[in-house]
Amino acid sequence: MKKEDMVKLISAEGFEFVIDKDAAMVSQTIYNMLTSPGSFAETQHGEVTFPEISTTILEKICKYFYWHLQFASGKETEFPIEPELTLELMMAANYLHT
Amino acid sequence: MSGQKKKNFQIEAFKHRVMVDPKYAEKTWKILEHAIQEIYNHNASGLSFEELYRNAYNMVLHKFGEKLYSGLVTTMTSHLSDISKSIEAAQGELFLEELNRKWLDHNKALQMIRDILMYMDRTFIPSTQKTPVHELGLNLWRDVVIHSSKTQIRLQDTLLELVHRERNGEVINRGLMRSIIKMLMDLGSSVYQDDFEQHFLEVSANFYGLESQQYIESCDCGDYLKKAERRLNEEMERVSHYLDARSLEKITNVVEKEMIENHMHRLVHMENSGLVNMLVNDKYDDLGRKYNLFRRVANGGLLIVRDVMTSYIRDTGKQLVTDPERLKDPVDFVQRLLDLKDKYDKIISLAFNNDKTFQNALNSSFEYFINLNARSPEFISLFVDDKLRKGLKGVSEEDVEVVLDKVMMLFRYLQEKDVFEKYYKQHLAKRLLAGKTVSDDAERSLIVKLKTECGYQFTSKLEGMFTDMKTSQDTMQGFHESLGAELGDSPSLTVQVLTTGSWPTQPSATCNLPAEILGVCEKFRSYYLGTHTGRRLSWQTNMGTADLKAIFGKGQKHELNVSTYQMCVLMLFNNAGRLSYKEIEQATEIPASDLKRCLQSLACARVKSVLRKEPIGRDIAEDDAFSVNDKFSSKLYKVRISTVAAQRESEPENQETRQRVEEDRKPQIEAAIVRIMKSRRVLDHNNIVAEVIKQLQSRFLPNPVVIKKRIESLIEREFLERDKNDRKLYRYLA
Repeated sequence: MKKEDMVKLISAEGFEFVIDKDAAMVSQTIYNMLTSPGSFAETQHGEVTFPEISTTILEKICKYFYWHLQFASGKETEFPIEPELTLELMMAANYLHT
Repeated sequence: MSGQKKKNFQIEAFKHRVMVDPKYAEKTWKILEHAIQEIYNHNASGLSFEELYRNAYNMVLHKFGEKLYSGLVTTMTSHLSDISKSIEAAQGELFLEELNRKWLDHNKALQMIRDILMYMDRTFIPSTQKTPVHELGLNLWRDVVIHSSKTQIRLQDTLLELVHRERNGEVINRGLMRSIIKMLMDLGSSVYQDDFEQHFLEVSANFYGLESQQYIESCDCGDYLKKAERRLNEEMERVSHYLDARSLEKITNVVEKEMIENHMHRLVHMENSGLVNMLVNDKYDDLGRKYNLFRRVANGGLLIVRDVMTSYIRDTGKQLVTDPERLKDPVDFVQRLLDLKDKYDKIISLAFNNDKTFQNALNSSFEYFINLNARSPEFISLFVDDKLRKGLKGVSEEDVEVVLDKVMMLFRYLQEKDVFEKYYKQHLAKRLLAGKTVSDDAERSLIVKLKTECGYQFTSKLEGMFTDMKTSQDTMQGFHESLGAELGDSPSLTVQVLTTGSWPTQPSATCNLPAEILGVCEKFRSYYLGTHTGRRLSWQTNMGTADLKAIFGKGQKHELNVSTYQMCVLMLFNNAGRLSYKEIEQATEIPASDLKRCLQSLACARVKSVLRKEPIGRDIAEDDAFSVNDKFSSKLYKVRISTVAAQRESEPENQETRQRVEEDRKPQIEAAIVRIMKSRRVLDHNNIVAEVIKQLQSRFLPNPVVIKKRIESLIEREFLERDKNDRKLYRYLA
């Protein structure tokens, strides 16, 4: 897969998640980061650091992105969320405008 | 590490930081302000979107939205005033380019800022009902840059100046123009309208007002219209290239008003090149242009064109039908009418887009002037006569149809269709009896056309004439079969038995037939009456033809094709060398006018006259004397001697026909009145007249005075009575 089609998401603890751009752009915020006309650092390097999102949450978020794409293409499955993650996940969702 | 722990930590940390650091907002804003400046300076590459977004996000989250928003407004305003200054400083030509460049920069920066501040756009702005970032940026640009005191007027003037230069033929930077205009449109349609369009339309109106004045003084109509059309196209092109599409109608309206509507009358009536001139010279292009341009003018542009055309056609038509010169040659007269019709048909189809209203105008004009001349029906019939006699020889069937269709078209314009019928009957009779019809098909096709136009009644007698011709043929065949032997070498005879009533009855002035003929005639009479009882035969010697074999002085033999009267006269010379007019008249008993005509054709023809007249002259006098012209010569063996044809009716004959027509109309009018009254029982005078006219319209236009007389006559004969209370009401008496 080409490097331009991928994007690296980095959690507060420094874990790197390399996922498809298409998936990442499910988040409106990430979409803006990657498409904004001025060449921001994120656009240039193809990586985004989230100092306020923990690895656990970011992982869950990446899963969600892929699940969302599947769901949108007609594959209706449940997306499991552990209760203890709920609050943080919601805050992150608000931040990412997902 | 557990999720539980982290969550607690974060939430507490947030609260904590807000509480602990009162300068937090100030610090965060500084970062953002710096970023915005960097963005305007094209230095965004060093910035982290995530960081800026997070800062803006947190500011809004921690209730510093108001500060963020007002800070944004201030920063942007100060930036824009800098930009505005640099734009104002740009010299001359560079002004627009500078403006355009800055605008593009601003647009890009604005988008970036909006992306960073997305969270504020999403949450803070809707809840406080402030202007969204993007719109805010446009509004600020409009207020600070475009509406700055220096720029506003300058921008307007520059744009208008460019348009003006383009109108004068210079090439301008259309791309730049388009992006500036697009900027104005992006700033809201009101900005475009107030800052540009309105002034643009005013300036255009002035420009075209002046230009049209100049053109109209110096150009003829055709050139003027060409210029107007070009201008119109230019404006449309301009709109499509760099103006708002909604301006199209406005600017074309301006051009139409200034260049066409204001000069409409002058253009139409322009001497030597106006509408009339174009019509005369068949200038299809100019006419088409005129039509298309005038059609754009809403209130009555075409009306003027149509009115002028109509009155012109009426004038020329009137001249044509009332010109005494034209009356001399009926065929030419009708041909001219047809040519005129063709000409305008062509103009309407080529230049006027087959406009129905124009066609109607043309038709009504023709109807108007054809009926100005009371002899039109006669002339049209003569035209047909001419065509069917000889004009259609060697012409293909389709062409015949075309000619006939054209004639029918003229026929439709006639009001006095019954007069046409009278003449047509006469002419048809002559054609049939003289065997002059060229094509039976053409004759019949015309009858069919008349039938579809005016109904069965109109043509039944005409059809009867054809039937008579057919039965006569059969009768003759029978006659020759039964009596062939008896006839021996007496002259052969062909008889056409005509039903009285179907044929135009002419007072049968009998003449004395030569003895040889008389014998055969009697034989036929007894044969015919033998097969058909209860009939009466009378000889119509004023019709018919005869073939004579003659030997002239030097022994040259010729066969002469002559009329019955001429035959009678010539037969006299078998027994006499020289006869006076009186002697001929006594011997033949031919009516004087016919005799004179017949002698004229025998003796006064220019080259080859069969008889010699003393004294020589063009006219026949009572005391002239005649002898056989021994020097008669002709290249042909068969010689046709035509009667000096009074093809066109002479004045008294015309009067007579008129009178007969009037007489024929009376029963028709009465029949119509009775028909109407039978169904209505009671009706007042005006309504009767109206209905009678309506019923008879397809045949002729009855005169109300005549109708009144017919009503009176019907009252006398007790078909109708006047109402006792209301004298204007009539009752039907069954």
